[in-house]
Amino acid sequence: MNKLFYLVIALLVLVLAACGSNDASEPATDAPEETAESKEVNLYTARHYDVDDELYKKFEEETGIKVNLIKGDADELLERIKREGDGTEADLFLTADAGRLYRAKEDGLLQSVSSDILDEQIPEKFQDTDQMWYGLTKRARVLVYNKETVKPEELSTYEALTEDEWNGRVLIRGSENIYNQSLLASFIEIEGEEKAKEWAAGLVNNFARDPEGGDRDQAKAIAAGVGDVAIMNSYYFGQMLNSEDPAEVEVAEGLGLFFPNQDTTGTHVNVSGAGVVKTAKNKENAIKLLEFLSAPEAQGTFAETNYEYPVNEKVEPSELLTSWGEFKEQDIPLSALGDNNAKSILIFNEVGWK
Amino acid sequence: MQRRLANINIWTVAAIVIIAALFLPNLTIVTGLFTPSNENWAHMKEFVLWSFVKNSLILVVATAASTIFIGLSLAWLIAQYQFPFRRFLKWALILPLSIPPFIGAYTYHGIFNYTGVIQTTLRERFDMELNPAYFDIMNLPGAIFIYTVFLYPYVYTITQVFLAQQSASLIESTRLLGKGPWRTFFQVVVPISRISIIAGASLVVLEVLNDYGVVKYYGIQTFTTAIFQTWFGLGDIETSIKLAASLMGFVIVILLIEKILRGRRQYSYASTKVRPLPLVKLTGWKAVAAASYGFAILALGFFIPVAQLIDWTILTFGTIPLDEFMSYIRNSVFVAGFSAAVIIVFALIVGNFARLVHGRLAKLLPKLTVLGYSIPGAVIAVAVVTAFVSLDEFLAPLYKLVGMNTTLVLSVSIILLVTAYIIRFFAIGYSSIETGYDKIGTDFQDASRLLGAGLTRTFFKVDMPMMKGAIISGFILVFIDVLKEIPLTLILRPFNFDTLSTKAFQYASDEKIMEASQASLLIVGISALAIVVFYKFLEKELD
Repeated sequence: MNKLFYLVIALLVLVLAACGSNDASEPATDAPEETAESKEVNLYTARHYDVDDELYKKFEEETGIKVNLIKGDADELLERIKREGDGTEADLFLTADAGRLYRAKEDGLLQSVSSDILDEQIPEKFQDTDQMWYGLTKRARVLVYNKETVKPEELSTYEALTEDEWNGRVLIRGSENIYNQSLLASFIEIEGEEKAKEWAAGLVNNFARDPEGGDRDQAKAIAAGVGDVAIMNSYYFGQMLNSEDPAEVEVAEGLGLFFPNQDTTGTHVNVSGAGVVKTAKNKENAIKLLEFLSAPEAQGTFAETNYEYPVNEKVEPSELLTSWGEFKEQDIPLSALGDNNAKSILIFNEVGWK
Repeated sequence: MQRRLANINIWTVAAIVIIAALFLPNLTIVTGLFTPSNENWAHMKEFVLWSFVKNSLILVVATAASTIFIGLSLAWLIAQYQFPFRRFLKWALILPLSIPPFIGAYTYHGIFNYTGVIQTTLRERFDMELNPAYFDIMNLPGAIFIYTVFLYPYVYTITQVFLAQQSASLIESTRLLGKGPWRTFFQVVVPISRISIIAGASLVVLEVLNDYGVVKYYGIQTFTTAIFQTWFGLGDIETSIKLAASLMGFVIVILLIEKILRGRRQYSYASTKVRPLPLVKLTGWKAVAAASYGFAILALGFFIPVAQLIDWTILTFGTIPLDEFMSYIRNSVFVAGFSAAVIIVFALIVGNFARLVHGRLAKLLPKLTVLGYSIPGAVIAVAVVTAFVSLDEFLAPLYKLVGMNTTLVLSVSIILLVTAYIIRFFAIGYSSIETGYDKIGTDFQDASRLLGAGLTRTFFKVDMPMMKGAIISGFILVFIDVLKEIPLTLILRPFNFDTLSTKAFQYASDEKIMEASQASLLIVGISALAIVVFYKFLEKELD
């Protein structure tokens, strides 16, 4: 009994001590606002790449502004900002999908900001029409194919993959994935709901197997001979080519990359981007961070280490990205991706895209 | 009489306050049942709901059956027989609990997929190109396999402790009556360990219903998927809460079934002499078979995935910035330890209340707190944030008074996260404490009271010493669960607060499972250490 009693006491003391030291080591959590206003920026981000952290460190060194981070799933972060209401500490919301930025705007969580530097560094196409958010990196949803069984001439458009010759040969991940939802949302925007549904149903009909795994898994399934062509994001292909695992590199080297819809509507492109939160207490710092992330140095880093395309047109994409060649992008307002998101999900459910 | 009443009141009040605090945030969910349904609900019902429900049911039933089979058979082997490596297996068989199922799912996919060790070896060493479909585990049977090998310890631990401690006289009698091992097993062991089997299996079921990581990656659409899809995809929180509420209703049914199965039977010590069962020595092929069975399960649930994680760690070592890892470890251990301690204290109070106060309501009331375990983490997160924001608004004048010019204090602090853990994992700690109370019964309590000791004094002097095992096991189980937890931690943590599991998850969700291996290994290591400590302690207690 006594031993247990002391155990409990000791535990409590330990916990309290940990509690104390925790507070001390992280002033950001509870720091009063007086000092915070000028030297901090609070970022809610759905991107969790190591390269992002490095860039924030660099930003801190250059400006002396501390970047406080909460990383999480985009939807869940949005919900959190919403629930925290006017009192939220969030200054900047950063995510890897235009649809979510659109939703943040629709929910009244963002504010309009204007900055000459941002206008200079980010083309209008990748800005929200009301300047509520700005795109920072681009990723293309491309086709990868088995070099041995498919000739690039046989490929043309996303739509063509629904034809009979591709029956049982197409690979793509599940419909719960935001990249697929945005892809279908773009079709709804360009061709209307009916056509989009036909495409989704046609693709399901040509699936090599029920969707499973992530983008990389689709590429591996091609190598394994399950299918011949997969729809995946460009940067995953870059990551596989540069993987620590030699087997993955080998898989990627056996695949070709194809930009679809070059003669028609263009390859589907989505962005990572960020918007300043409506009630931001450190608005100026948030804008500074946006300017930093869209400046040539950070843009080059995104391309070099994460294989994403820079939005800043003055920045050369990395060697690898350049080797894939230039391509024509879909020309639709990115907010359409968010606008049509719910419709895409309903269509996926209806056509049985798991 | 007067005194008895007063004493009961203190316990009653404390217990009811705790139950209310744990249940209140969930009310948001309950109210969701009564909102009118909209077109999204109709759409879900028409196209997908049935297949989601079907998948969930298959997962739950199959996983429950297989974890009961494996957990009970192992518990029986360990409790009844002597064979080589028994002492090691006894505690090592709990180790699979240290691996978060989503990490296990990624690991096994890593092993089996085209670039994984099996297919690569077959190709390169033996020049064999087999149909990749043979190796595909990203489907329903695969998910059942993952849940089984990583969750069976819930059944195993609870049943094994029970069998080792209490069945001696019953089982001996059966042996004396000349019944063979199989009949003993089915006619005596299974019926008497019913309570612990059900307790363990219901934890498994709740864990499976709640999981999102495994099914999302394997592309299996379940009830939880539906909740996330309507909420985040369709932006329709009402329908999503309606689904969560239905899930909760389902869990209530499970709990009621448990209650009915448990019946009015009480299995407490018949005498103060609790002695372990004398072990039957296995020899020859039987001994080999018993040890191999134990090792096979252990390999599937621990050694193989850990070997894969180590392999990946070696591959990626140096590419991952490790400078922050000490703080991840500190954060993880701190939140897990603190939440587990609070949960155990609360569980002791509530459990004691349920034991002492008679009446059906008093027995049922504590069950309400288990509901937290039935709701998907993300939904709890929002419920808790909502509650805390209101609390902060209420306290705002006070904050002003002490010179803070912000309205959100509690809701951006670590207290929010810990509260959410407590709501979410109370069930785990409580089920351990409840089994403990069941075991000691009320005879000693009555004796102590007759001798004039008060309720509180009796609690500390008589009950607590007998509860040590339950307290430690409850603490460790909660500790490990918090360490592995994902959605709550992701959504509710304060700024710059990373844990090992958030780190592992972030890499994994970017399809960088190799890079996630360092953090995963640390989670496994810390949990395994906790299990060893737990075992050493229990062993001292029982010997």
